[in-house]
Amino acid sequence: MSGPSALAAAPQVSSWTLLRVFGRSLFLQASWNPQGMQNLGLAYALFPALSDLYPDPDRQMAAVRRHLAFFNTQPYMAAAILGGVIFHEGRIARGEEGPEQVVAFKAALMGPLAALGDGFFWLSLRPALGALCAALVPVLGAWAALLFLVLYNVVHLTLRARLFRMGLRLGDRLVEGVAHAHLPEWGARLRTVGAASAGAAVAYLAISLGANQGGQVGDALAVGYLALGAVAYWLTSKRFGNYALLYLAALLAVAAGAFL
Amino acid sequence: MVDWSQVALAGVWGGLLALERRAFLQAMFSRPLVAATSLGLLLGEVESGLFVGMLLELYHLGAANLGAALPENDTIAATGCSAAAASCALSTGGGGTPAIWALAIILFGWLGALGRKVDRWLEPYNTRLARKATARAEHGELRRAVRQNLWGMWPHFLIYGALVGGCAVAGYLVGPAVARLPLQLVRGLAWAYPAMGAVAAAIAARGSHARHSASYAAAVAALVVVAMVALTCRRVA
Repeated sequence: MSGPSALAAAPQVSSWTLLRVFGRSLFLQASWNPQGMQNLGLAYALFPALSDLYPDPDRQMAAVRRHLAFFNTQPYMAAAILGGVIFHEGRIARGEEGPEQVVAFKAALMGPLAALGDGFFWLSLRPALGALCAALVPVLGAWAALLFLVLYNVVHLTLRARLFRMGLRLGDRLVEGVAHAHLPEWGARLRTVGAASAGAAVAYLAISLGANQGGQVGDALAVGYLALGAVAYWLTSKRFGNYALLYLAALLAVAAGAFL
Repeated sequence: MVDWSQVALAGVWGGLLALERRAFLQAMFSRPLVAATSLGLLLGEVESGLFVGMLLELYHLGAANLGAALPENDTIAATGCSAAAASCALSTGGGGTPAIWALAIILFGWLGALGRKVDRWLEPYNTRLARKATARAEHGELRRAVRQNLWGMWPHFLIYGALVGGCAVAGYLVGPAVARLPLQLVRGLAWAYPAMGAVAAAIAARGSHARHSASYAAAVAALVVVAMVALTCRRVA
């Protein structure tokens, strides 16, 4: 039922239109709302493809309306669903399947892809690169921010474009393609990088800034900062509020600086 | 003396970064490290932006936008603190110092929590847009229906842009007062920056979601300490 030949038989969706859909998918969350979530963003992104596929106004209206229903997934992984929706809409336009197929396709994939994308991008890649580049600030200066952008977006944009093409070519079988990327395994490795980089940042802040600003009490200050980091880690595990910790640390340091 | 062109620049860039965070692209220009550094660069105080961004990147590292859950708005915290630190440093004429960075974070670090409230407050507006789009689609105005999507962006741009501009103004106003603070208090504020940094890094280690995060963080921290002490000893010798 699926394959490259199926897409080739749907000349109504031009490469330019596909590019427009991909570009508009970058606005997926522009009007995120608690009821339909990304529904309006999805309809906005798909509209050029639906216009190409359904010259008949009634069929076009029906197509737009079925994509104004609830939709929510991880925004990068949505590229795969967008590709898959165009694949299915092409088949619907040619009369090869009913509209319920595309609705079922979205409903079946948005949850699992959200879990996969959240786990990899939000909970692994972003924290790992954020911590790594923050720890590299003493070495690279402002270039660390640029390095973060480059490293993150090489992965992000490559995967986003690949997922879109995968959806277009494979339709329902895109799940197999996504599974081959081994995102959970990469995620676990990246989370380790994040924790290790945070440790390096504590050490740099304690030793370098402590010694520079402490004067005669520089060594004691450095040890104090390291201890503060360890205590803060322990307190966060006891669900102590992050803001309370941050402001308490500031208060202690200001008091120490004023009276020591 | 407030430089209004700098305030306007901070407001526009802050508003654009607020859009990038959620409405458009999400290529992480809005992450604290990048957002604060870029804002500092625009205002001519890149060091202040960088060090404010570094600390807030670590502090907000583990926050994630999962499903309908709203995390704190790390972007407004970063852009607000960076704008305040940069304009404060410019108004003192002495450049950025750890005392100024700490003061900016103490004064405006809580904007992340306020941002979450603003984000929640704006949701009904977007719900109305979605309803309007459905109604237009039913009347056959399909192009206008789907374009409702873009109208969801302007309140974020205006509100967060105004907040960042306000922080820049506050920085200019606080600057002269900072120059008159007692030396002990300035020293205390300078000590507060690494103290808050150590706490933020500890929060980051937990926020990394890694198994055995404490072991990895402690092992690498120990390695860095040994390396830095060894380097210092070599220099002294």
